[in-house]
Amino acid sequence: MTAQPQPVPDSALIESMRTGDEAALSTLYDRYSAMLLGMLMRILRDPQAAEEVLQDIFLQLWRNAAQFDAARGSLPAWLMVIGRNRAISRLRGRRDREVLEEEEGDYANTFASGQNIEDEAQRAQLARNMAAALGQLPVEQRQAVELAYFEGMTQSEIATQTGIPLGTIKTRVRTAMQSLRQIMA
Amino acid sequence: MTTPHANPEDLDLYALGALDGEEKQSLEVHLRDCSYCQQQLVAARQRTALVGLAAPPVAPRPQVKAALMDKVRAEKQSAASPTPSSKARKKRWGLRFSFGFGLATAALALATFELAKQDLDRGEQLRQLQAQHAQDAAALQAMGQVTGAPDSAQITLLQQPNGPPGQAHMLYNARMGMGVYSGQIAPAPSGKSYQLWLVPSSGAPVSAGLVDANQQNGAVVVRLSPGLAAKAFAVTLEPQGGRPQPTGPMVLVGAAG
Repeated sequence: MTAQPQPVPDSALIESMRTGDEAALSTLYDRYSAMLLGMLMRILRDPQAAEEVLQDIFLQLWRNAAQFDAARGSLPAWLMVIGRNRAISRLRGRRDREVLEEEEGDYANTFASGQNIEDEAQRAQLARNMAAALGQLPVEQRQAVELAYFEGMTQSEIATQTGIPLGTIKTRVRTAMQSLRQIMA
Repeated sequence: MTTPHANPEDLDLYALGALDGEEKQSLEVHLRDCSYCQQQLVAARQRTALVGLAAPPVAPRPQVKAALMDKVRAEKQSAASPTPSSKARKKRWGLRFSFGFGLATAALALATFELAKQDLDRGEQLRQLQAQHAQDAAALQAMGQVTGAPDSAQITLLQQPNGPPGQAHMLYNARMGMGVYSGQIAPAPSGKSYQLWLVPSSGAPVSAGLVDANQQNGAVVVRLSPGLAAKAFAVTLEPQGGRPQPTGPMVLVGAAG
């Protein structure tokens, strides 16, 4: 059995970017662009728009590498949170004020410490588990979660769109998230 | 009697960004002071962040990475060498910026000269002044490029409802990725800074750096990426030293174009 080479940690690559190392950005792009683009495509359903957002995010990472604080949260979490916010802003044509409300603190602790998604194999396994877990949910629960996450709808909007009482939407989301927690445990 | 913690359903909805209206406001107020609910929110965010991973990964086309790396290299080169001078055509309002910088530069030149006459032991102070002088001269040159370019746009940033009084002007040239900011706002509260942002037509705002409350007579040159178009400019109130992305309220806003 041969030992797998350990990937260079994100924190070390970010440190290299601070000194202007383009190769570090290239490595991070190779590591996370497919994961990110998958989510962006799911939200935007437009390959060109999704790729534009993807490029913007990595350009921002390059520009702001000096300000990125790895202690506040993981890089993939930051990428997913910022990517989702931007894609939904674009999808829904949100105004400047709402775009400006993108909170940098949102990425803090968004992935649990035990989830090593810097490793490609573990990341792929986690993604498969999540897809399977969502697939096991009753359709109405899955729909509520997906409308919120991928369409960026608020609870009131989901209730209006589906014609289901607000309280029921709340319960469905809550039950779905509880189920996901149990399935993923 | 138990502590009235936040409803777990609301925490999940909040983590998903789906909570709205009065419920969202109430929860945010409660979260400020309740460490237990803050911990519950962390757990809720851990769960919701995973939902995005359920979308199957999609490999981007090679051109996307190539274009990204081209932009990165262009930015590195741009940062390493100043933009070449463009054809001069001064705009009247641009003179105000030139005047502020011109005064500062002339004062520094004079101070440098006086120091040189007086005392050689003050060499370190002299070198610092000369360095400052060189910076201001470079800023003046950059300002001349922006104010002289026919494709520079003028943007007026106005105060917001319930915000502190103030107004600012921005002269921005997207082709150069360079602008000149001048304005005046009520002094920032202790521990806070005003930060200027370029809001692009898509994507998150790009920091254009910190600005003083009173930038009326000493305009500041802002350097961004060449080709970066602006939909608007805004000034927000941020924790001291600024933040990579806006976190505070908008104080001034002005739409471009």
